Amino acid sequence: MENELDEKLVLRIAQGDEEAMRELIVRHQDRVYGTVARMIGGAGPDAEDLAQQIFIRIWKAAGKYRSEAKFTTWLMTVTRNLVFTFFESRGRKLEVSDSILDSETDEVQERWEPVEGRTPREDLAGKELIDAVKLACASLPPKQRLVVHLREHEEMEFSEIGKVLGVSELGAKSLMFRARENLKIKLSEFFTEPS
Amino acid sequence: MSMNRDKGRDGLGPDLGRLYASVPVPKAPAWFVARTMARLRREEDKKSRGWFELPRWILIGAGSALMALGWLWWESKPSVADAEFFAALDAMVEEERESRWWAGL
Repeated sequence: MENELDEKLVLRIAQGDEEAMRELIVRHQDRVYGTVARMIGGAGPDAEDLAQQIFIRIWKAAGKYRSEAKFTTWLMTVTRNLVFTFFESRGRKLEVSDSILDSETDEVQERWEPVEGRTPREDLAGKELIDAVKLACASLPPKQRLVVHLREHEEMEFSEIGKVLGVSELGAKSLMFRARENLKIKLSEFFTEPS
Repeated sequence: MSMNRDKGRDGLGPDLGRLYASVPVPKAPAWFVARTMARLRREEDKKSRGWFELPRWILIGAGSALMALGWLWWESKPSVADAEFFAALDAMVEEERESRWWAGL
C-alpha cells in the first residue's frame, strides 16, 4: 500500500509534478536524512547537503524508475551511491571526532527519556553507552554500517539489502554477520556482568 | 521493539540490538522540505537557462573579441594586386603560344 503510493508519486514526479515531489520528501525525509547521518557519523550540514542531493537525484531520475523493486529499495540504492561517492571524494572512510559526538549531545539529551528515580550517575552511564555505540558503529566499514542500519532501523529484508548494496542475499547476511562480530568485540565491556 | 531484533539470528541479536536502538537516529531538520524544494527549483532554473545564465557582459565581450579576431584574420590575408593578376594571365598565354610552336602548329 505504502509502496503503491510511492510509485504513484514517482510517476507524477516523472511528469514534472512539484507537488508530488514535495509529498515524497515529506514522506521520506527522516528515512533519508537518518540513514545519511548514521553513515557519515552525525547530523549537520554535510548530512543535509547529501540528503538534498539524494532527493534531487530522485527528481531527475524519476522517469527511469521501474517498479520491479520497491521504491524504498531504489531510494536506499541512490542513498548508498551518493554516500559512498561522498566518502571517495573525501578520501577517507569515517572518523567520528569528538566534535561530532559533542554536536549530537544536545539531541541525545533531548531524546534521552527522563526516568523518575534515575540518578545522574545512571544518566552519565547512558550517555557513555550511546557514545560507545556510536564510535563502535562508526568504526565499521561503510557496507557493514549500512547493512546494520537497514536491517535494524529500516527493518528491510536481506534480499532488499542485497539489492541496495549490489550483492546477493547471502552476501548481505555475511556482511551482517561480520558487523555483528565486530560490534560484539568493540562493545564487549557492556555485556560483562559486574563482579 | 523491532521484530528483527527479536529474531536474533539474522540481525544484531537482542542485546546488541537493544544497544544499537539506544542511539537515536537523527531526524531531518525543520525546513528541510522547503530548502530542498528551493534548491531543486534553482537547479531546474539553471538547467533551463543554459548559456543565457552567463552574465551579459561576458557574452558581449566574447562576441566583440570574435569579431575583432575575424577582422584581423581578413586583413592579414595576402591581397593580389591587379598587375600581378594580369602578369599571370600573360604568362599563361605565352606558354600556350610556345606550346603551339613546338607542336608545329
